Amino acid sequence: MNQPAIQVTNVSKKYSKTLKRSMLYGLADVSRNLLGMRSHSEKLRKDEFWALDDISFEVNKGETVGIIGSNGSGKTTLLKMLNGIFWPDKGKISINGSVGSLIEVGAGFHPLLTGRENIYVNAAILGMSKEEVNEKFDSIVDFSGIGDFLDTPVKHYSSGMFVRLGFSIAAHCEPDILLVDEILAVGDTAFRIKCYNMMSDITKRTSVLLVSHDLTAVSRICKKCLLINHGKLEFYGDTFDALNKYSDLLTNSGNNIAGITQNDSRVSDFTLMSAASKSITEIQHSQPMTVRFSYNLNNIKSARPLFVIHFISNDGTRIGHCISNAAFALSAEGKAEVTIPKMSIRPGVYHIGLVILDENLLTHYFICEQMATLRVTGRTITSSYITIDSKWEFK
Amino acid sequence: MRKTNAVYEPDNSLKMGYLSLCKDIVNELIGNRWLIEQFFRKDFSASYKQSFIGVFWALIVPIISVGTFVLLRNSGLFFTGSLHIPYPLYAVLGMASWQLFSSGLTAGSNSLIKAGPMIAKINFSKKSLVLASSLQGIIPFVIQLTLGIIMCFIYGIVPKWQALFTPILILPLMLLTYGLSLLLALLNGIIRDIANALNILLTFLLFMTPVLYVIPGSGMLSRIANLNPLSHLISVPRQFIIEGSTQQWVGFIFSSMVSFIVFLICLLAFHLTETRVAERI
Repeated sequence: MNQPAIQVTNVSKKYSKTLKRSMLYGLADVSRNLLGMRSHSEKLRKDEFWALDDISFEVNKGETVGIIGSNGSGKTTLLKMLNGIFWPDKGKISINGSVGSLIEVGAGFHPLLTGRENIYVNAAILGMSKEEVNEKFDSIVDFSGIGDFLDTPVKHYSSGMFVRLGFSIAAHCEPDILLVDEILAVGDTAFRIKCYNMMSDITKRTSVLLVSHDLTAVSRICKKCLLINHGKLEFYGDTFDALNKYSDLLTNSGNNIAGITQNDSRVSDFTLMSAASKSITEIQHSQPMTVRFSYNLNNIKSARPLFVIHFISNDGTRIGHCISNAAFALSAEGKAEVTIPKMSIRPGVYHIGLVILDENLLTHYFICEQMATLRVTGRTITSSYITIDSKWEFK
Repeated sequence: MRKTNAVYEPDNSLKMGYLSLCKDIVNELIGNRWLIEQFFRKDFSASYKQSFIGVFWALIVPIISVGTFVLLRNSGLFFTGSLHIPYPLYAVLGMASWQLFSSGLTAGSNSLIKAGPMIAKINFSKKSLVLASSLQGIIPFVIQLTLGIIMCFIYGIVPKWQALFTPILILPLMLLTYGLSLLLALLNGIIRDIANALNILLTFLLFMTPVLYVIPGSGMLSRIANLNPLSHLISVPRQFIIEGSTQQWVGFIFSSMVSFIVFLICLLAFHLTETRVAERI
């Protein structure tokens, strides 16, 4: 029989915005269930909202599917429902096979117990049998690389060791379906590479659902992607298309977020221009571009303010900047034009932020993380962000 | 990994009928024996790590509390009723059973909250977690019982061979502890007032139960104590050790039945509602 591993049909989940009401509703729902009455969970009550709304999809055995979407879109809620931690308020989820989760590693660790004791407890919580743990014990210890610290209480572990041990236990579960939430960014580089290799090994045998903001990781590991936006399923299909749709969503949202200003500093008319002086939101990798804006710095103390343009990735990391020269005094009002000879950031969608500070870098006059959104097009090749100009010779 | 095929739907359990629910529950607990053992060990060793005296705290607590009552009684401030065995022995044996109930209930009702993030992140058997916690009183019970037996010999009383029935006689008390733990753990997950209320309630219950005194012949307290299932569940094991038999069979059997019904209802309630609580922890 070739049943799909996961079958999600019209699933919705609601949350309550306030804690007090959540308590009341909780009591009401629990009592109704106890009395054998339906809880009418398909209706929204006061202060409730749909965190996930009418989601349907299927994952076949052995498929690796990414789940992407901005923060708060409902990715983790979906993963928890697939895991059976929460039940849907509407619709139906069918799971065919054992489910393992790499949702938060080391969640069940007790700080006073030793690594050895915690391995047994944690493995049992994750659903391993006694025989399985005994059999895999050495491999778990070996993979985690905690070595001599096996019999030390985990509270004396470094945070890296803690996470490594947790990951190692979870990764040894060998479920039919593995749910992974933003987990691959743990530990140091050497361990991260080990994790990636383990993941690619796991994906050969297991259906994997991977939630991540690291779009490079998603595009490497997953052939298909679910794109979730504000609790709704926007797209399900080929990863490349999903990433493009996601880029569109990001470009079209949140351009007009006001900056934090002090002393009435103002920035306006922030535009991105191509080499041909056309306003753009998209640029080909390694092409030139220009940023233009007008500023008004009345009432600020520094005569020589510094301007910094930040390129900010989706997960909030500032990955590159252009900085102005503070050597000369500026007039309080004026226009700026910043020329970037070559866009060297790897393809993807970036927010462009602007910061104005005094020459000692202490006082911020203006901060806005989303002056504009820029999409760099081209083929993603590497996981690192910046292409450094280089000349290669082979002899 | 366990092979599982699961269907998640709202009000899923309601469609299945109570009988198949009971089967599910029994299977869950049996299938998770190893997990229960691991939880039990974890709780036990965690609570005595970083402590010099370790598990012998189980001796110090009753000695001090019983000592206080001995002092009160000897100064005539606390009337315990007439006894034909030394009061300290009576109190120690009573407190052993009482703490089996009270510490089990306290640990059990806090178990879900204490596990907090784990519950929201990993899907495991929560009944097993509560069970392991509600069994926390067992090891102190064994230690205090041993203390009681030693005291018997010191006072020159030979414990009856019927004392060997103790493990069976405390079963109803343990079922009641587990059942109430499940219910309170569940409610505690939704409203945190439960933990505070429980402390007060347990102190009150201790005085409503003939643990440290003998049931008076008549009056309000006598009626309460006779209706209180705990009083029979705690007195009968004690009587078996000292006298080898009991006159409270009717009360004991009735209390055991009450315990079993409470246990069954709480277990079903927990099973039906555990996922609703998981989202509120």
